[in-house]
Amino acid sequence: MLIGTELQRAVQDGQEAPGQEARAATRVAELDRRLGDPTDDGNELSYTRLLEADEAGELSEPGERALDELGLGADFVPRAEGGRLERLDTLVRIMRQVFRRDVALGLGYGVTSFMAAVNIWTSGDAAQRACLARILTGGGKVSVAYHELAHGNDFVRNEFEARPAEGGGYLLNGAKQVINNAQRADAWVLFSRTSPAPGSRSHSVLFVERDGLDTDTWQVLPRYDTVGVRGCLLSGLRFDDTPVPASALVGEPGKGVETALRAFQITRSALPGMAVGTTDTALRTVVRFALGRQLYRKSVMDIPHARGTLSGAFVDLLTCDSLSLAATRAVHLLPEQTSVFAAATKYLVPKVLTDAMHELSIVLGARFYIRDGEHGIFQKHLRDMPVLSLGHAGSAACQATIIPQLSRLARRSWFSDEPAPAQLFQPRTDLPDLSYGRLTLASGRDGLSATLVAAVDQLPGASPEERAVQGLALQLVDELRQVQEASRALAPEDRTALARPAAFALADRYAVLLAAASAIGVRQQASHDGGDAFLADPAWLAAALHRLARRLGRRPADLPASVDARVHEEVLRRFHARTSYDLYDTPPAG
Amino acid sequence: MPVPTTGHTTESLTTWLAERIALYLKRQPAEIDPDVPLAEYGLDSVAALSLCGDIEDDFDLVIEPTAAWDYPTVHALAGHLVEELAAEAAKDGGA
Ligand SMILES: Cc1cc2nc3c(=O)[nH]c(=O)nc-3n(C[C@H](O)[C@H](O)[C@H](O)COP(=O)(O)OP(=O)(O)OC[C@H]3O[C@@H](n4cnc5c(N)ncnc54)[C@H](O)[C@@H]3O)c2cc1C
Repeated sequence: MLIGTELQRAVQDGQEAPGQEARAATRVAELDRRLGDPTDDGNELSYTRLLEADEAGELSEPGERALDELGLGADFVPRAEGGRLERLDTLVRIMRQVFRRDVALGLGYGVTSFMAAVNIWTSGDAAQRACLARILTGGGKVSVAYHELAHGNDFVRNEFEARPAEGGGYLLNGAKQVINNAQRADAWVLFSRTSPAPGSRSHSVLFVERDGLDTDTWQVLPRYDTVGVRGCLLSGLRFDDTPVPASALVGEPGKGVETALRAFQITRSALPGMAVGTTDTALRTVVRFALGRQLYRKSVMDIPHARGTLSGAFVDLLTCDSLSLAATRAVHLLPEQTSVFAAATKYLVPKVLTDAMHELSIVLGARFYIRDGEHGIFQKHLRDMPVLSLGHAGSAACQATIIPQLSRLARRSWFSDEPAPAQLFQPRTDLPDLSYGRLTLASGRDGLSATLVAAVDQLPGASPEERAVQGLALQLVDELRQVQEASRALAPEDRTALARPAAFALADRYAVLLAAASAIGVRQQASHDGGDAFLADPAWLAAALHRLARRLGRRPADLPASVDARVHEEVLRRFHARTSYDLYDTPPAG
Repeated sequence: MPVPTTGHTTESLTTWLAERIALYLKRQPAEIDPDVPLAEYGLDSVAALSLCGDIEDDFDLVIEPTAAWDYPTVHALAGHLVEELAAEAAKDGGA
């Protein structure tokens, strides 16, 4: 009864004691069981009830209680610190259970604390790590306070100040705005200016516990009302000469920008894939609608355009999950290379997921405009989704992280680097611990696109689907060649935040190619290790590469009809079996 | 102990850096005061990382990607590079 097949699979893999995969599958099932069937109106965590909470601008109280009982905070704490975090791809899988139901709960209960915590895991000392572990495993929250309205993504200009005080410690001065959970967090991670000099060595990260602060000197600012994630408690903090001890400093003074950029590599790899669960629900909602609604004496599902849209959304989910998988596993396996992968994931995944939802909304028709009832969750997810693009570095800022690295990658890496290791693309195999120390701000290496290049030589061309994959892969390699040429030619002025739009287009094309490489890698590994039969089938990959090639403005040849049939069949199978529309095909917990 | 010659001097590096940074900023090299922090000219943190990549490529030298953050003026960076190049040459010579 306990997630039988999943455990069996892990045991068959040769692990006697429950290994990483068994632990991951058990945890995912635990969440699913406790959160319950969201389509059952008797469940206090049903879509209907979650919509009511959203209308009231509140985080679902039963939702928070359930996550408290599940001890979700411990999933953000490394095992070495007494928590459950061991693999980033597993964290994504777990959080998908929450994001499927409610993005606000996912962010407001969990991800915010995780984003704060990563700064401490990468750069904090033993006492800070222990303190944070105590807060999170005890069900507390931690806010991440980077943002100042005046400076947005340009956070190197931030003014919020931690001035060294006479006799040690710091005095906090200034304000942070649009900060999740600011008023209820037990501690805040504050990105603070510690030197008036311009440049990237003038900020430091401080970890400040709320308890013991001089209450007369600080206040919580008014709450913001938002279009989506309306339950999230977004407010701000203002400090006036608030003393904090020297022990609040995280890492070395002046290294705040570096600490932040390192932490971002982890959070930007992990966050976007959580929202695969959100678009999964959107797809499921529209499949239900399309099967049930009769028009022109047929069901909407029989209308080729509607059916194609649903298949397309499913394929996009698999593509996004492939990139998310590669990016999160790269943090363990290729930490030197993750700065570009993380930025590409944060840029592309929310964009593709959002586009897919807009396409799905066309099939849902007028119902997508209705706020409650059977399809009401769709509009909520559609309103909530943009947060994934907006928050924590906007799309353009992510492109701007990639742009300065393009010319180096073009000169040093593409068409010459070693392909990524096979484990990068295996959804269920073990990984070594995260090694925070090996994350670097820029490396000029990229094993992921090398997987795309290598695939062209390896792919067998027997079936029509495989030939389609081969043809598409060749076009994508050609695209990489063009991106390489254009990147080599980038003038220095186009390698800064003020680069011309053409440089941003290059970053976009490169991100699409990394997604293609990830999907190819996933299918290759599935066919090698006798893994998932659907993932081993070239049909989904042909469909995925076809969509990516079209996104790049190419006009690839039509796919064999069998591709569409196979993908459609799988959309229906997973709908009826209620398994997830991602790489894991996770069954509902019984 | 003999100082290994690398062919690069503080002056030649200062000239190279001023020219390169001028390209990043769309200015004339003469406008770049070697003692003014680059951030004051608007050279942002990512461009500074990019500059370090250029240095690695042009001088075949491995430096921290954050070198231009730690040595934030043309003079400071040129001085740092002279030392790094000398250390590199000493390593090669002594090997
Ligand atoms: C729901 C929600 C929750 C949030 N929670 C938190 C939180 O808990 N903690 C926290 O610190 N912050 C939080 N934020 C703030 C968030 O981090 C910032 O809003 C975000 O980082 C971007 O700021 P901005 O949109 O104001 O961007 P700006 O920097 O003002 O950007 C405006 C536009 O300028 C352009 N641009 C900006 N930078 C670049 C660049 N480098 N290259 C090219 N173009 C560029 C882009 O077109 C961009 O959209 C939250 C925001 C939201 C919406």
